Amino acid sequence: MIEKMMNTRLFHWVDERTDLGAIIKSQLTEYPVPKNLNYMWNFGSLALLVLVLQILTGIFLVMYYKPDASLTYGGYTVAFDSVERIMRDINFGWLIRYMHAVGASAFFVVVYMHIGRGLYYGSYKGPRELLWIIGVVILLIMQGAAFFGYLLPWGQMSFWGATVITNLFGALPVLGEYLQQVLRGGFAVGDPTLNRFFSLHYLFPLLLAAIVGGHIHALHVVHSNNPEGIDIDHEKDTIPFHPYYTVKDAFGVGVFLLGYCYFVFFQPEAWGYFIEVDNFVPANNLQTPAHIAPVWYLTPWYTILRTFEDKLMGVVAMGASLAILFVLPFLDRSKVRSARYRPVFRQMVILFFISVVVLGYCGHSAPTETLAMVGTIATCVYFGFFLLLPFVHKFEKTKPLPGGE
Amino acid sequence: MRGMMMKMTRFSLIACLMLMLAPVMASAAGGVAVKHTDITFDKETLRAGLQVFTDVCMGCHSAKYVTYRNLMAYPEIGISREEADELRGDKALMAGLITELSPEDAAESYGKVPPDLSLIARARRGGANYTYSILTGYEADPDGKIEDGNYNVYYPGGRIAMPDPLAWMGHDAEETADLEEQARSVSSFLAFIGDPHQLERKRLGRWVMGFLVLLTFVLWMLKKEVWKDVKKH
Repeated sequence: MIEKMMNTRLFHWVDERTDLGAIIKSQLTEYPVPKNLNYMWNFGSLALLVLVLQILTGIFLVMYYKPDASLTYGGYTVAFDSVERIMRDINFGWLIRYMHAVGASAFFVVVYMHIGRGLYYGSYKGPRELLWIIGVVILLIMQGAAFFGYLLPWGQMSFWGATVITNLFGALPVLGEYLQQVLRGGFAVGDPTLNRFFSLHYLFPLLLAAIVGGHIHALHVVHSNNPEGIDIDHEKDTIPFHPYYTVKDAFGVGVFLLGYCYFVFFQPEAWGYFIEVDNFVPANNLQTPAHIAPVWYLTPWYTILRTFEDKLMGVVAMGASLAILFVLPFLDRSKVRSARYRPVFRQMVILFFISVVVLGYCGHSAPTETLAMVGTIATCVYFGFFLLLPFVHKFEKTKPLPGGE
Repeated sequence: MRGMMMKMTRFSLIACLMLMLAPVMASAAGGVAVKHTDITFDKETLRAGLQVFTDVCMGCHSAKYVTYRNLMAYPEIGISREEADELRGDKALMAGLITELSPEDAAESYGKVPPDLSLIARARRGGANYTYSILTGYEADPDGKIEDGNYNVYYPGGRIAMPDPLAWMGHDAEETADLEEQARSVSSFLAFIGDPHQLERKRLGRWVMGFLVLLTFVLWMLKKEVWKDVKKH
């Protein structure tokens, strides 16, 4: 089909002016991909799909959404009313809104799987260090975009979540209070906060789109890692991206959409995990909800924050837990990439995954003494993974790599 | 590889168990578990619920996101124009269901402004079962501290500002079934208006899922076909 399209006169006309044919060849039909990738390698294309879905549904939501915290009848606000108007009176508004709300969680599901795959198979190691670092930037922008977006419906959890998180900036020395006021556009979360968060919620996806472009470009320079984590012979062990991986990714999209659409159509609130119960109550600055927690995808970092009694320490630890991802490629000194051939690393990375899940659970639940202790242990495991990493290669006996090297 | 998969499965099982335990632990901390009732969205129930809503709830509460026009347009309720005209009096067809009681008067009489009920079933843990439990949860305070009609077993803390709307306290045995049905139908109505497109959504969802199952199957066959010549090593 591609050949047929590339033989049309229109294509030749465009090709002479853009070199499109060469781009298609080098990036698709002759772009080499290892043939032994497993299904864990599907999550990158899925993340791209969800990004596009979020941008498209977001564009339509903005046509009806109004970022305005003025009060209306019954203790609601213009912003809250506009979301309910989308849900009730706009044709298929409910579908677009639920796709966007479920999409936010779906985005993090696929991106966390994508990152986990990169960790397990050592995809962050040379020559893919910069590819990984660009990925961490994407993660941070995603978390920011999700946080800004959650304020927009102006429900109780929107309001109090934003209050708690912007409060954190106040804990920083010297510039803290100033930063906090700049973020809020005042002394407390209010209408100016809503408007600037709306602006940033529209800006961040633009940044994401651009940086994702950079991420894919960097990938196409260094090429994909593979489950064995070995450098491969381009002649013998690779197949072109198109049609092999286009069709495999398309199958992955089908499986993903089955899960995504199940939630959109049958369980959009996901029992309070995607849309929290308290967010159906309009924001009220005089009434703090009994239990404030961020949405599930931010809870692991929220637990790290809560681990420390001292607010500044908590903020620093939370920042460090994310910032440390940037230096991961340089902490790991082993020459072997994949956890398949690294018995010690494999145990460590699995323990790390568990610690993130446990941290997430602790951050989602109302704090108790037991949970605080569990959270502290999980925080130690989280940081322990990174602290131990530079020394593992000294005592780890790696298994022989395939290919007899 | 298989060992790893088994380990991963075991760990994800533990994680799932923990997630499943979360609500159990939450309700253990929050007090009395709500009663369960049969929430249904058939026309008869929803119309009976609407009746209870306009006759009883709307004395103090509003459902501002539900308009008289909506009550005609939602096929699940589908009242006629004449019925809508009778309900709305001199209010606009596009007006929401808004109580005659002003917020100021309400605050003076009850100590607080009664919340809007458009989203009440979604804004409370337990949903429609919670509203049902509240309506049928008025009792005499075992400690004798709270006046009759302001004590509700299912309300956090026990003291509720809303005085027994269905006159549940002191009803005799013959009335029980009727009051329970009123509470059930109005709770169903509240659950419906919380997300008025939910039935349409699920109906459409079945077609979407059916289509996706087919599409995914075709893509899987296509993947196998395209990949059949690729040797593993």
